[in-house]
Amino acid sequence: MASVTLADLTKEYGDLTAVDGLDLDVDDGELLCLLGPSGCGKSTTLRMLGGLETPTDGDVYIGDERVTDEPPYERDTSMVFQSWALFPHKSVLENVAFGLKMDGVDEAERNERARDVLEVVEMSEFVDADPEDLSGGQKQRVALARSLAIEPDVLLLDEPLSNLDKRLREQMQLELRNIHDEVETTFVHVTHDQNEAFTLADSIAIMNDGDVEQVGEPREVYDDPVSLFVEEFLGDTNLVDARVQSHIDGGVVAATEFDEEIEVPTPGGHVEAGDPLTISFRPEELDVSRVAADGGQSADPAEAGDVTTALEGTVTDVLYRGSSVRFYVQIGETSVFFEQSVGDKTDFEVDDSVVVSWDPEDLLVFSEGERLGRGGT
Amino acid sequence: MGALADESMFAWFGKRIKSKDSTSVFLLAPLAAFELVFFVVPFLILVRMSLNSQPETGFYETGWTLAAYGDILGSNLYQQMILFSFKLGVIATVVAVVLALFYAYAAYRAEGLTKSILLFSIILPLLTTLVVKTYAWRPLLAPNGVLNDFLLSLELIGSRIQFAPSLFGTVVGQVYIVFPYAVLAIYSVLSTLDWDVVEAARDLGASRPRSFFEVVLPEVLPGVAVATVVSFAWSVGAYAAPSQLGTGSQTTFAMEIGNLMLTNFNWPVGAAFAILMLAAMLAASLAVIRLLTGSIGGVQDV
Ligand SMILES: Nc1ncnc2c1ncn2[C@@H]1O[C@H](COP(=O)(O)OP(=O)(O)O)[C@@H](O)[C@H]1O
Ligand SMILES: [Mg+2]
Repeated sequence: MASVTLADLTKEYGDLTAVDGLDLDVDDGELLCLLGPSGCGKSTTLRMLGGLETPTDGDVYIGDERVTDEPPYERDTSMVFQSWALFPHKSVLENVAFGLKMDGVDEAERNERARDVLEVVEMSEFVDADPEDLSGGQKQRVALARSLAIEPDVLLLDEPLSNLDKRLREQMQLELRNIHDEVETTFVHVTHDQNEAFTLADSIAIMNDGDVEQVGEPREVYDDPVSLFVEEFLGDTNLVDARVQSHIDGGVVAATEFDEEIEVPTPGGHVEAGDPLTISFRPEELDVSRVAADGGQSADPAEAGDVTTALEGTVTDVLYRGSSVRFYVQIGETSVFFEQSVGDKTDFEVDDSVVVSWDPEDLLVFSEGERLGRGGT
Repeated sequence: MGALADESMFAWFGKRIKSKDSTSVFLLAPLAAFELVFFVVPFLILVRMSLNSQPETGFYETGWTLAAYGDILGSNLYQQMILFSFKLGVIATVVAVVLALFYAYAAYRAEGLTKSILLFSIILPLLTTLVVKTYAWRPLLAPNGVLNDFLLSLELIGSRIQFAPSLFGTVVGQVYIVFPYAVLAIYSVLSTLDWDVVEAARDLGASRPRSFFEVVLPEVLPGVAVATVVSFAWSVGAYAAPSQLGTGSQTTFAMEIGNLMLTNFNWPVGAAFAILMLAAMLAASLAVIRLLTGSIGGVQDV
């Protein structure tokens, strides 16, 4: 067990800067997910942590020890590779016992310990198998066991689940969580899948373009994104372009792609008239109701009092997505979507006129990619 | 029984032609014909020739005798030559395969232009005639040659050394001939190795040399086996290198067969010598394959 500190970590490949002055702290025993789109430098960061890549600049600390220039075999880290990288000429047991063998543990003991770890990952019956005969999920378990067997201070996982099919992947996510609780080792888990990160992580670090944008607990990151990038990456949302018209108490009035002006709270934000904004209307924060035939609103009158802002639009598409239904509503020049569980009371149909309403407090407002009034909630 | 064998052979052919991969038979046919005309038939002629008797004058006299074989096995001189041929084979093979292993590994690890240059410079010598490139070593290795000039100027040696003609020159020449083939045999297998696997070994505590022996070597052993057999078979039967870079004491049996056929006109003995050596090399090559494939299993058990 050990904490990890990455300080101003930089890796350049010729002209390309793969990791750009990255700072990150991982607590002892924490499961941190490095989340980001493909090519943003997650693997490179992880490889520098494990010693498989030498940083161009900056430092890596494991515990209090500076290990920046230590080769991988001198570090108490262990990597689970995306390709699993099992040794082809060794049996499952030999694979798992390999690290202990390198440590000079005698054969009887290392085999016993390897068997124990294989039990943890439920691979006991494959002890003598040839790794090439195993399925993807089984290989993944062996790779995990091989790394766990040396009881590393920090376990590094580079998208080890990305080559598995969805069902197996979700099952393995839960198992990884359980194994983490069991072994109490610091895990750094790389993934580009936000669902995986939310399922697994004690804490998520969102990477963009070689640097960490935001670190925090999953809920915290989701509720309080610092930037437009994080907001877009963490989930499907409705982003609407707008332009500041005038200031009002606690916010601004902005012209939007809805062809309507709306009130937008900008606590602590410094925006001028004419500044472009991007507003995120999260689908789960939208209230939608059908417009009654007489032109009035059929929505619950009690709710109507709370509605600060509402706009009328037309349902254009209905998409069935398994357990949920997604509706697209055209409002002015843009369209927003919201979702309902299958079997919810209201069913909308294409061409229905609806009123979409929201609480301005729930809007997330971004200016030049940065969140306005962050922490104001 | 002959008829039965023929029948099943035809049946085999028929099935082949009927089955979907019949094209492979047609593709193989010219190759099979080529083998038959240029390898099997000459070999049968050679066998027949080795059984003829040796007249006072002329190339051979038709007959049925094992006298030629007896002459070879009874000759002290020929035994020396055979011994030297195998010695050269072993030395050149060990040197070539060890160097090729390093070279192939360097090429495997190199990237971009460096990789292209390393691989291209292996192919390039294959485009030159054997005799020319072997001969080119003479001015380099001769007592008044480039290597001596160089070593003298660095004051590494006090007086000129005869690197060629000598055993040293012969080995250098022979290694130079087989080296590209050894590299290609090893590289082709090595290039299938997943580098992640080596990184995984290092990550789990294997030092660089240890990771090489634990995961790289077992993987390339089949390539090493091919490189060894090719280098060995070729070096035991060396002709160009010893004749151009060796002295009289570096006479291989291949050179002697040349003498017997072209200078002494003793065809039965020449033919018998060729057949004996062919059999010996076949046995040695099989033993090498057996040894290396056997040790693959051995490594697995470590
Ligand atoms: N060995 C390398 N040589 C050159 N460029 C590399 C190398 N490894 C990674 N890169 C580049 O660095 C960037 C980050 O790569 P990587 O860390 O693998 O991203 P991720 O794991 O987030 O997908 C990419 O643009 C990639 O092409
Ligand atoms: Mg990656």
